[in-house]
Amino acid sequence: MNRSLFDKVWDAHVVEELAGGNALVFMDLVVAHEITTPQGAIAIEKEFGDRLYDKNRIVAMNDHVSPAKDTATAIQAQVVRRWAKRQGITMYDIGDNGICHVIVPERGYVTPGMTVCCGDSHTCTLGAFGAFALGIGTTAQAGAMLAGCLILQRPKVMRVEVTGKLAPDATAKDLALGVIAKIGFRGGTGYVLEYTGSAISALTMEERMTLCNMAIESGATSGIIAADETTRAYLGATPLAPTGYGTLRADDDATYDATVTIDGSRIRPTVSWGINPGESAPIDGVVPADAEAASLEYMDLHPGQALTSLAVDQAFIGSCTNARISDLRAAAAVMRGHKVSIPTIVTPGSQAVRRQAEREGLHDIFQDAGALWTHSSCGPCLGMSMGVIAPGARCISSTNRNFPGRMGAGGRVHLASPVVVAASAILGRIGSPAEIDVREPVPA
Amino acid sequence: MIVEGNILAIPRPNIDTDQIIPAHYLTSIDEDGMGQYCLSGMPDGPALLAGVPDAKILVTGENIGCGSSREHAAWALRDRGFRAVIAPSFARIFLENAYNNAIVPIVIDPAQLATFAAAKRATIDVDNQTIRLDGGDPIRFELDELRKAFITGGGFLPFLASKIDRVRAWEAACRK
Repeated sequence: MNRSLFDKVWDAHVVEELAGGNALVFMDLVVAHEITTPQGAIAIEKEFGDRLYDKNRIVAMNDHVSPAKDTATAIQAQVVRRWAKRQGITMYDIGDNGICHVIVPERGYVTPGMTVCCGDSHTCTLGAFGAFALGIGTTAQAGAMLAGCLILQRPKVMRVEVTGKLAPDATAKDLALGVIAKIGFRGGTGYVLEYTGSAISALTMEERMTLCNMAIESGATSGIIAADETTRAYLGATPLAPTGYGTLRADDDATYDATVTIDGSRIRPTVSWGINPGESAPIDGVVPADAEAASLEYMDLHPGQALTSLAVDQAFIGSCTNARISDLRAAAAVMRGHKVSIPTIVTPGSQAVRRQAEREGLHDIFQDAGALWTHSSCGPCLGMSMGVIAPGARCISSTNRNFPGRMGAGGRVHLASPVVVAASAILGRIGSPAEIDVREPVPA
Repeated sequence: MIVEGNILAIPRPNIDTDQIIPAHYLTSIDEDGMGQYCLSGMPDGPALLAGVPDAKILVTGENIGCGSSREHAAWALRDRGFRAVIAPSFARIFLENAYNNAIVPIVIDPAQLATFAAAKRATIDVDNQTIRLDGGDPIRFELDELRKAFITGGGFLPFLASKIDRVRAWEAACRK
């Protein structure tokens, strides 16, 4: 009674209430990748004799810099690879890998009502399945692998109701940015965002993942969406094809610590102009008059500047936010028959996405347009391997963070949907698909 | 446990973990040695650090440590000598990482930020949860009762290890 969806998932996983308002919370799945796992795996090995709570509750992968770019990243990958082999942990590696938040759901690991953690802040993506999924540090991840649990403060729950339906030109990315603009860049801190409403029910699973992916960008512990027939249909088509899971829902009289309501029909195609994902505006808008001076200085902007007047130096379509097959289809539909006018990189979220895109000929569309079609990885999103941008360069990007230096020291990032990135790549400035003559596909 | 030392004040909001340590330095499998990269993702970070070379306490604006979960941010701060971070608010993952690395996270009233940022030196009594700025009167602060012990005592992983039997029993009972 009175319980939110999140409450039900949480309550079903509390092993023990602890001092200071903390709880020992059981973790059904731990996802481990090469950047944040080695130190924890080594600590467990050294201090606890390499014991793991349950190897079958861990999935490992090399995803951030794979294949390795240098000796240091080769060592990281090797540590995870050898550790997984030694422990008998399922491992996704070169040839069959991609971004963990793309691979884990596409294979069918995450089912409604589960708890999932990973040493990666965008783990909240998996809340799209009605799971409680959260990012944690390396030590906490090691603890979850050692003891099957995390120590957590019970988050508050904010209901984010999105009414009506999205306009045809608005995407889940625009909604994600719209939610952050509404509650604020720090507004989700201490909360799980429970998304409800007709506009949410109408989203595909990939769109739900895009929305939940950016819950962390409001500071939220996670986002969560109740499972429904859309979820069941998606899971049924995954390789693991899980069955036997329940589909928890919030009680009709559920109470929430906070509620915000957004009219879905008012969500417009959106682009970030500032240095955090809360600083965004409709693409046909301007840099706001009340913009923070530090943001304007870093981004070299002034209030009143039209976003569509900004020339961009690079375009990137990829990341755990927007590199699934539907994202690539949408971007390809804009790019078809056009040429990009700036360096453009398209990075599928997983090898499975890449192969599907190639079966559909999307790679030809991107490459005919002059874009680089790469293997799957986190890629340029975090400025860690390929596609780093130069100081002062402006990149239009389908990613999730526009922090100073995120994609390269001194670089400037504008977040947008894959279709806006595709249109901007053609125009050489920030622009919308409405400005592009969308070519009909030639019948096969 | 007493933490005493000089303060580096960067009273800006939203200092994210990419600014504390950019991703291209996340390629080590050791926790040690990351201090050399501390705050290198902030354009003026290295200069600010050079201004207080022996700083032990970092004072920042709201939402310190937002963004990436990278514990490397806590490792870089610790390796650079920081033992406490003082801010009006902390991002959740960074807060947990601070506790797990014995960095004392002190939450202050936003109205007090200017006072803390103007101070040169602080003495933090972790056990009694008080802080003195430049030898002034003790100011009370709150800590998570459980996680405080991860700073002063046995640490996070030994605590969790002590719970394994309990967790297994819980899981077995759930399956019945």
